[in-house]
Amino acid sequence: MLLSMATFACCDLTASPHLRRCDLDQRPELSKGSVEFVASTEYMVRPPMPPLYFFLIDVSVSAVCSGLLEIVAKTIKSCLDDLPGFPRTQTGFITFDSTLHFHNLKASDSSLTQPQMLVVADLDDVFLPLPDDLLVNLSDSRHVVDAFLDSLPVMFQGTSNVESAFGPALKAAFMVMSQLGGKLLIFQSTLPSLGVGRLRLRGDDLRMYGTDKEHTLRLPEDPFYKQMAAEFTKNQIAVDIYAFSEKYSDIASLGSLAKYTGGQVYHYPSFQTAVHQEKLRYELARNLTRETAWEAVMRIRCGKGVRFTTYHGHFMLRSTDLLALPAVDSDKAFAMQLSLEETLMTTQTVYFQVALFYPYLSSRSVHGNAVSSYQRYTSSSGERRIRVHTAAAPVVADLSEMYRQADTGAIVSLLGRLAIENSLSQKLEDARQSLQLKLVKSLKEYRNLYVVQHRLGGRLIFPESLKFLPLYVLSLCKSVALRGGYADALLDERCAAGYNMMILPISRMLKLIYPGLFRIDENLLLKDLKEGQVPLGQLPLSAQSLDPKGVYVLDDGFNFIIWLGRMLASDLLNNIVGVELASFPDLSRVVVCEHDNEISKRLMRVLKELRARDPSSHQSCRLVRQGEQPRELSLFLTNLVEDQTAGSSGYVDWILQVFRQSQGS
Amino acid sequence: MAWELFLWLLAFAAAIALIGFSAYQLICLSDLEFDYINPYDLSSRINAVVVPEFMVQGTLCILFLLTWHWFPFLLMAPITYYHTKLYMTRKHLIDVTEIFRLLNEEKKYRIIKLAFYCSIFIIVIYRLVTTAVLLLMEDDYRTMESGIF
Repeated sequence: MLLSMATFACCDLTASPHLRRCDLDQRPELSKGSVEFVASTEYMVRPPMPPLYFFLIDVSVSAVCSGLLEIVAKTIKSCLDDLPGFPRTQTGFITFDSTLHFHNLKASDSSLTQPQMLVVADLDDVFLPLPDDLLVNLSDSRHVVDAFLDSLPVMFQGTSNVESAFGPALKAAFMVMSQLGGKLLIFQSTLPSLGVGRLRLRGDDLRMYGTDKEHTLRLPEDPFYKQMAAEFTKNQIAVDIYAFSEKYSDIASLGSLAKYTGGQVYHYPSFQTAVHQEKLRYELARNLTRETAWEAVMRIRCGKGVRFTTYHGHFMLRSTDLLALPAVDSDKAFAMQLSLEETLMTTQTVYFQVALFYPYLSSRSVHGNAVSSYQRYTSSSGERRIRVHTAAAPVVADLSEMYRQADTGAIVSLLGRLAIENSLSQKLEDARQSLQLKLVKSLKEYRNLYVVQHRLGGRLIFPESLKFLPLYVLSLCKSVALRGGYADALLDERCAAGYNMMILPISRMLKLIYPGLFRIDENLLLKDLKEGQVPLGQLPLSAQSLDPKGVYVLDDGFNFIIWLGRMLASDLLNNIVGVELASFPDLSRVVVCEHDNEISKRLMRVLKELRARDPSSHQSCRLVRQGEQPRELSLFLTNLVEDQTAGSSGYVDWILQVFRQSQGS
Repeated sequence: MAWELFLWLLAFAAAIALIGFSAYQLICLSDLEFDYINPYDLSSRINAVVVPEFMVQGTLCILFLLTWHWFPFLLMAPITYYHTKLYMTRKHLIDVTEIFRLLNEEKKYRIIKLAFYCSIFIIVIYRLVTTAVLLLMEDDYRTMESGIF
C-alpha cells in the first residue's frame, strides 16, 4: 500500500485498560507487518537511474561450439519486451575472446540499421572507442538490437579463438556502466587467460586436501576480482555469472564478483544444448523479467537489548548494519545472527524491523486498465519506496519453551551458511565437525533440562520441533558443497553449490539438501488418471525405497533425475526413452522430451506438475538406469543421504554418533 | 659525537612520523565504526599510508642496527618481522569487502603497534636529550680547556 510520510500526529488513547491509539485502525503502518512507504526526495543521493541490462558474452570457441550463443541470443531477444522500466530501459553488449568487441547499436538519424562492431586489441590499457554510444535506449534502438541478436551466433561461427580476455572485458564493462549502475550478466565459458585478472589453471590439487592450505582452493586467487566487485557495488552494478565450461574455470574467483555485488552464480557444468537449453532459457528469462529492486539498501533494526552481529548472503556491508544491494529480487534470502547485549531481558517482546529502500520501477507487462497507466507514469519518473517488515518475537525465560518453538528450517539455513563460510577458512573436515558439534551441543542442553526429571538415562531426547534436525545436518554434511574430499565433488561444482546455498530461501535449501524422491511408475501406467491429479508421496532417501521394477524421480529443485529400475518392463522403458534401448545404451545422451506415446505424455505431465511447485527455477532432466556405473553413483546414489557411502555414515550410524556424543558431558 | 646527535634527531622525527601514521589509522577505523565514513574512503585513506609507514619503520630499524644501538633495534625487530610477513603474504592492505568482519582485529593490531612506537619514542627522547647534553658539556669543556692558556 502506498502512504505518504506524514509526520506522526498525536492522538488520543482509548479508555483504559486497553490504552490503544484511537486511530490504530486507520493507520496501517501501526498495525500491519509489511508496509511500503513512498519516500521523499531527501532520502536519495540521486534520482533513480533508468534500468540498465548489460551483457558481457564470451565468444571463444568453446562457447560457440556448445551452442550456447544461439540460445542466449534467442532468449534475450524474446525477453526484450518484458524488461522492466519501459520506456527508459537501456542495454548494451560487449563480446570478448582474445580481443574486446564493442557493439554500437545506436539507431541515430545517420541510418544505422545494422549494428557496428569495433574491435579493441589493446588489453593493457582498455579504452572505450565510443564513450557515449555503447549504451542505447532499448525502445529507440530496438530494431538494431534485434538485428544484432539475430546475427550474433552467425558472426562468430567459425572462430577458433581459445583465449579469454575476461579481466579487460570487465574493466570495459565497468567503464561503460559506471555512470548509471544496473545489472551486468556475464556468460563465460573459458578460463580467463589474457590481460589483468588472468587465472592460473590451479585446478583441484589432491595433495592439498587434508592440509592447512586446503581452503585456499576455494578462495579467490587474484585480488583483482574482489577489487572489481567493490568497485561495481560502489557504482550500483550487480553482477550475475553464467558459467558453462566443462573444464576448470575457477568459479571460486569469478563467484566473488557475484557475491559482493548481490548477484547470483549460475553453473551449467559441461553445457550441452540438448540437456541444458530449457533450463538456461527459463532461468535467463526469469532473471531478466522478475521484479527487481535497483540501487537498494537494507537496514535491520531491533529492540533494546539485542544487537545484530553478522550477516550471511550476497551483499556488501556499507556500515555495521547497512547492506548495499545493487539489485535484489525475491529469489534471494539473507540470514542474520543476533546477540543479547543484556543478560536479563526485561521486556515481554522484542521487535525486529527490516527496511529495504529502493527506487520503484514497474514492469511493462502489467496490462491494460487505469492501474497500468498509473504505474507507467511512476515508472518513467521513478519513485523511491521503502518496504518495511516488522515482526515481534516473545521473550521467554524458559529454555524448554524456546526449544519447543524452534524453527528447523531457519536453523538449517543458518548452519548451512555458517558451514560454507567456515569451509573458506578451514578444511572441509573441520567445517563438518563444527556442524556436528553444534548439533550435539544443542541436544546436550536439551537433555540436561529433562533427563533428571524423567530419569531417561539411556535414550536420545530431543524436542518435537527438532526431530528432523539431525537428518538435515547429515544432509548438509553430504551436500555437494561440503561433502567428502577431493574425489567427491569437482572443485567448480563445489564452489558453485556453495555460492548457491548462500542465497537460497529456506524451502529451496531444504529441498536441495534433502531432495524429494517419488515413485511414478504407477502414475505412468494408470489409464484413467485425470489431468492435474498426480498424488505423489515423498519417500525416504535410501536404497531400500528403490524397487527394481519401478521408475523414480529425484527432485532437488535444480535437477530431475529419473531412475529406471533394472527389472522394468522393456516396453515401458522404450516408451519413456523414446527409442529402442537395446540399440541406444548410452543414456547420458538421451533427451527427456515428449514422445509420441501415452506414457511419455504422462511422464511430461508429472514433471510439469513437479516443476510448477516452485516457479523460481526450472529443473533439467536426466535419465539413469539401475546398475549403470559410474553415472548412477555420481548422479543418483550420492543423493540418497540416509545411506552409508564411502567415508560417511548412514542415518542410523549418525544418530548413534550424535547420541553418544551428547551423552558424554 | 655530532653524528650521534644527528642520528637521534632523525630517530626522533621518524618516531613521531610512525606515531602519527598509527594514530591516523586508528582514528580512521573508529570513524568507520561510528559510521562517519564509508568503507571505500577508509580503505583508500589507510592504504595510502600503510606502505610509507613500513618504509619509515624499516629504515629506522636498519639505522639502529648499523649504528650498533642494540636495545632499540631489538624493540623494533618484531615489528619489522611482522611487517615483512604481511607484505610477503599480501595482507598489508585493507580489503573493503572484509573490513567489517576484521574490524576489531585491525584495531587491536594498530593499538599494539602504537604502544611499541610510544615506547620507542620515549627511548629516543631520552637518548636524544642525553646525547645533546653530553655534546654541549664536551664542547663547553673543550672551549674551557682551550680558553685556559
